Amino acid sequence: MKTPSLVIVSAVRTPFSRAGTDLAHLDAVELGRHAVSSLLTRTGIDPMLVDETIFGCVGQPADAMNIARVVALRAGLPESKPAMTVHRNCASGLEAITLAHAKMCAGQGEVFVVGGTESMSNMPFYFSRPAVEKFTAMSRARDFKGRAKAALHFRPADFAPVIGIKLGLTDPVSSLNMGQTAEVLAREFGITRDMQDAFAMRSHLRATQANHLLNQEIAPVLGKHIITTDNGIRADSSLEKLAKLKPLFDTVTGSVTAGNSSQITDGAVALLVATEEAAAAHNWKPLGRLVSYSATGCDPARMGLGPVRALDAALHRSGWKLNDADVFEINEAFAAQVLAVMKCLADPASARRAGLEGPLGEVDPAKINACGGAIALGHPVGATGARLVLTALNQLHATDSRRAVVSLCVGGGQGMAACLEAL
Amino acid sequence: MKTKLFNLDYFKAMKTNFLNRPSVIHDPPHVLENIVLGDPIPAKHFRLDVDHDGIAWLVFDTLKSSANIWNEETLREFNHHLEAVEHDTRVKALVLKSAKERIFVAGADIKLIRNLPHVRVNDLIWLGQAVFDRLARLRVPKIAAIHGACMGGGFEVALACDWRIASDHPSTKIGLPETQLGILPAWGGSTRLPRLIGIRKALDLIAGGKLLNAEAAKRAGLVSHVVAAENLDTLARRLARVRRPHLRFRFENLFSWFIGRTAKRKVLEKTRGLYPSVTKAVDVVSHAVHGDIDNGLLLEREAVAELIKSREASRLIDLFFKREEANKRPAATGTAIPIHDAVVIGAGVMGSGIAHTLASRGVRVLMTDVTNDSLARGLERIHGLVSEATRRRLVTRVKGRDTLDRISTTPVPVPLNRHHLVIEAATETMELKKKIFADLAGRVANDTILATNTSALSVAELARTVPNPERVIGLHFFNPVHRMPLVEVITLPETSPDVLATAITFVQKLGKTPVVVKDSPGFLVNRILIPYLMEAVRLHDSGIPVNDIDEAMLKFGMPMGPMRLLDEIGLDVAAHVAKSLAHAFPDRFPHTDALDRLVAAGHFGKKTGQGFYRYKDGREILPDVHYDLPRHESIQTNLALLISQEAMRCLKEGIARSADDIDLAMVLGTGYPPFRGGPITFARDTGIIDY
Repeated sequence: MKTPSLVIVSAVRTPFSRAGTDLAHLDAVELGRHAVSSLLTRTGIDPMLVDETIFGCVGQPADAMNIARVVALRAGLPESKPAMTVHRNCASGLEAITLAHAKMCAGQGEVFVVGGTESMSNMPFYFSRPAVEKFTAMSRARDFKGRAKAALHFRPADFAPVIGIKLGLTDPVSSLNMGQTAEVLAREFGITRDMQDAFAMRSHLRATQANHLLNQEIAPVLGKHIITTDNGIRADSSLEKLAKLKPLFDTVTGSVTAGNSSQITDGAVALLVATEEAAAAHNWKPLGRLVSYSATGCDPARMGLGPVRALDAALHRSGWKLNDADVFEINEAFAAQVLAVMKCLADPASARRAGLEGPLGEVDPAKINACGGAIALGHPVGATGARLVLTALNQLHATDSRRAVVSLCVGGGQGMAACLEAL
Repeated sequence: MKTKLFNLDYFKAMKTNFLNRPSVIHDPPHVLENIVLGDPIPAKHFRLDVDHDGIAWLVFDTLKSSANIWNEETLREFNHHLEAVEHDTRVKALVLKSAKERIFVAGADIKLIRNLPHVRVNDLIWLGQAVFDRLARLRVPKIAAIHGACMGGGFEVALACDWRIASDHPSTKIGLPETQLGILPAWGGSTRLPRLIGIRKALDLIAGGKLLNAEAAKRAGLVSHVVAAENLDTLARRLARVRRPHLRFRFENLFSWFIGRTAKRKVLEKTRGLYPSVTKAVDVVSHAVHGDIDNGLLLEREAVAELIKSREASRLIDLFFKREEANKRPAATGTAIPIHDAVVIGAGVMGSGIAHTLASRGVRVLMTDVTNDSLARGLERIHGLVSEATRRRLVTRVKGRDTLDRISTTPVPVPLNRHHLVIEAATETMELKKKIFADLAGRVANDTILATNTSALSVAELARTVPNPERVIGLHFFNPVHRMPLVEVITLPETSPDVLATAITFVQKLGKTPVVVKDSPGFLVNRILIPYLMEAVRLHDSGIPVNDIDEAMLKFGMPMGPMRLLDEIGLDVAAHVAKSLAHAFPDRFPHTDALDRLVAAGHFGKKTGQGFYRYKDGREILPDVHYDLPRHESIQTNLALLISQEAMRCLKEGIARSADDIDLAMVLGTGYPPFRGGPITFARDTGIIDY
C-alpha cells in the first residue's frame, strides 16, 4: 500500500500578542476556539468530515485538561469526533501535524484539524509543597478551633507563589533555564552580543516589511478592541536600543537579553490537513504537502542545537539537499541559538560537535526567517510549530517557490524539522 | 377526617361554613348531583400501587393524552384513589408522580373551563378545592415528585402535599400562571403558597404568573430538593420515612395588610386597573394568609367566580389558545427540514439581535458584514445581551458562553454551501438588498432558503433577483429581537410549501410565534400600526398635547402611547415607512406633515434628544399632564377605531390567513391590549365597525 501523503488544505491563526496585552483576557481554550472556528468558517467545510482534532499545548490549563477536546467542542466540531492533545514542548504545534500524518498512515482517519494554542498570560501560579500540606491540614480540621490551630502553622514564605511559567521554561534534567542554555551556546560557539543583537534587529525589520503577508494569516479577534495584527514587532528596532538592554540570565558576563530572545506571547494556530486522496475527493485546493519530518534528541543543556540533527534527518528522508529549499523557518528561541545552528550547518568543526558527520552546507541568510521570527512575532510555545508551517507555506505561495524547511529547538534537548512542498 | 368527600352533606356544608360543617342542605352543586357514595370509578387516569414499605405510589397518567390535566373526570378519579388510600391501613406515605415524559400536571383543563357555563365552572372549582383539601388532610406524609411542567392546578395539588421535590430536567417548570389568563389560583394556591413561602414572594409569583425552573423554584422555596429525575423515587422513599416538615413561621405574613396594600398600589400603577385578575389576586393572597385554610378557599372561590364571568378573562384565555396553536401547529402542507446552521447578513441592531436569538436556541450562526468594525459592534451588542441575561439568571453562565461560541463572523466572502438558511438583515435599501441577494444566489446551494428581514420593502421584487425564487421568504423579526415574540413570515405566491413549512418550524423552534402574511406593503403589523400613528400625529397637530394622546392610549391598554412610540422608532424611520405606505395605498391614511417638519428640523426622536418629547441623557423630560377625561375617551375611540379598521381591511384583502392571526400578531407585535383580544375581536365585541 502506498503511504498516504498529508496535504495542508487551509490554515489560520490568531494575532500573536505579547503576554499580558491584547489577548490576555482570552485563555488558551478561547484562543484555540477562535482559531478552529475561524478555520471552519473560512473553509466552509462540513465539521462532520473531520475525523479527529489534534492540538499542541505546553501549559495545559488545569480547567481544560485535554484542551484539544474542549477547543474542538466549543468551536463546533461534532461530539462524535475525538480529540487529543500532544506535548513536545516547543514543537507541540508541529507534532500535531506530524501525528496526524502518522494516524493517516495507520488508517486512523483522513481529515484532521490540527494546530496549537498557548496563553502564556494565563500560566498559573502554584503554592509550594509545604504550603499545600498546610492548606490540606486546615481543610481536614473538623471544627473552627482545629482550623484556627492549623492556620497558625502558616509562615509568610508559604504565600510566595511558585511561578508556573518560570518552572516551564527550566529544564529539570540539566536544571538550566532556557536562557542559560542559550548562554552555553553563545560561549561555546563564540556568538557575541553584537551578532545576537544584529540578528534580533533583523527579525524585527523583516517582520515589519512582511507585515502585509503576516496579516493574511490572521483571523482578527473582535471585541471592544479589534485585534488584527501581531503586536510584538518593533519597526523602530535598532542596535543602539538593543545594546541598552541588560543580560537576563547571566547578569554580569552574559549576552542573552530580553531583546535577542523570543517573546512570551499568546496565540493559537489551526490547520486543516487531509490525505491527498481525501482532499481531491472533496475538491479542496491544498496549500502544500508534508514531504518528510523528523524529531531527534540532543544534550538538554544545549537544547538550542536541536534543529541541526533534526534537519539532517528530515532532509535525508526527503532526499533533498540543504540548499534545495527556498524558504527556511528556524524558530528563533534565542538569537544565539539560531546563529549557533547556522554555524553548525556550515562549519565542519561545529557540525561534528553538534553530532553530524560533516557540514550540510551554507544557507543564504536571506532565505532564513524572511518574515521575521519569534524574536519579533513571539513564541506561544504550543502554537509556534504550527505557525512555522503556516508562514512557510505562505511565503512559498507569495514568492512562487516550491520547497520549504521548518525546524525548532525543543526544551529538554530535542529538535524537530519538517520538509514542505507547495502545491 | 371521617367525612366522605362525596357525601353531599359535607359538600354543601362546606359552602356555608368550613369550620363547623353543619349538615345544612341547600344549593347542591351541579356536578355532584349524580354521584352516589361508593360509586365505583374505573382506574383510567391513575395507577395506585402500595409497595411493601407501605408507600402508596399514585401515578397520574391521563388516558390518550400527552398531558396530565385536571378536569371533572380526573379529579373524581383522583378523589377515588385518595379514598382508597385513606382506608388502606398499610399505607405509611403517599407519593404523587406523573407517568408523562415532560409534564407533571399541566393544570386545569382551560379549554373545558372556557366552554362551560359559569355555574358549572364554580362547581369544578369546588370539586378541585375539596379534593385537594382531602389530600392535604390525609394522615400520612404526602410527597409530590415533580418532573416536567407543574403549572396552575398541577402546582396546587403539589402545594397540598407535605413535600415537594423536583427533577433538575429542563422541562421541569413550576408556577401559578393563572393571572395571565385573567383568573387566579383557586384550588388552594392563593391560600397555601403565601403560607409556605411568605406573602411577598407569593405575591410576586402569583401576580407575575411566572414559571420557574427547578433551581429557581428551590431558591424561592417552592420545592425542598432538586435531584436528577431518575433519583426522585429514591428521595421520595427516604422522605416518606422522616417526620413531615412544619410550615415555617413567616414573620412578614403578620404585615400582610400593609404588604398587600403596597403591592396593590404598585399593580394599579402598572396596569391602570385594566387587569382585574392581578388586583384580585393581590387581595385574595393578602387576606387568605390568615386564619383557617377554608376561609382562604372561600375567598378564592368568590374571586374566581367573578373573574371567570368577565370578558377580559375570556379574551385572555382565547388568546392563550391562539398563541399555543400558532406556536405548535406545523404548516398545513410541505415538509420542514431542520436548520442547524444559518447565515445572518448584517451585524446591525437587527442582524446581531437575530444572530443572538438563533444562537441562544442552538443554531450555529455565521454573521457577516462588510467591515470588522461593524462585526465587532454587533458582537459587543450580543455580549451585552448575554451578560444581561446571565446577570438576571435567565441563562446560566455556561449556556451564555455556548451562545457566544455558536456565533462566528467574517467580513469577507466565505463558502456558504452547507448552510440551509440565510437571513438578510442589511440596511433597508432596495438597491443594497438586491445586490446582496444576487451575490448570495451565486454562493449558496440552489435550495438554500433566502430570507429577508425587511420591514417594508417588497419581498417579491427581491425574489426576482435570484434564480429559484420559490426559496425566497420574508422573516420579519421585531426589535428588540430577544424580547419580541412575533415573527411575520412573509410569503410570495411562488414560495414553495417546503420552504414555508421550514420557516414556520424554524420560528417555532426559536420560541417565537410565526404569523403567515402575504407580501404587501407594510406587511401586517406595520401596516395596521402606521395609520394609527399618523392619526395620532394629526391629532397632535390639531392642538392636542402629546401626553394627552399618550395617556388616552395607555388607558386603552397600550404598553406605550403613540407619540412615545414614534420617538422610540425614530421620526425619520416612521416618516419613511409612512410615506412608502401612503404611496402604496393612496388617500387612505391620515395626512399630516408634522412629522416632516420635525425631521427637517433635525428632531428624530429619542436618538437625537428631541422628538415629540424632549430627552436628556436618554430620559424623557415630562411635560405637565393634562387630565381631560372626555377628551381621552374620544381620542381612544378615534385611534382604536383606526387600528380595527385597518385590521379588517387586511383580513378582507387576505393579507393574513385569519382574524385570529391578525389579533395575535397585533398583540404580540405591538402590545395591543391582550385583554381586548386583538383589534378584530375588539371590533366585534364593541360593535364599532359594522361588518
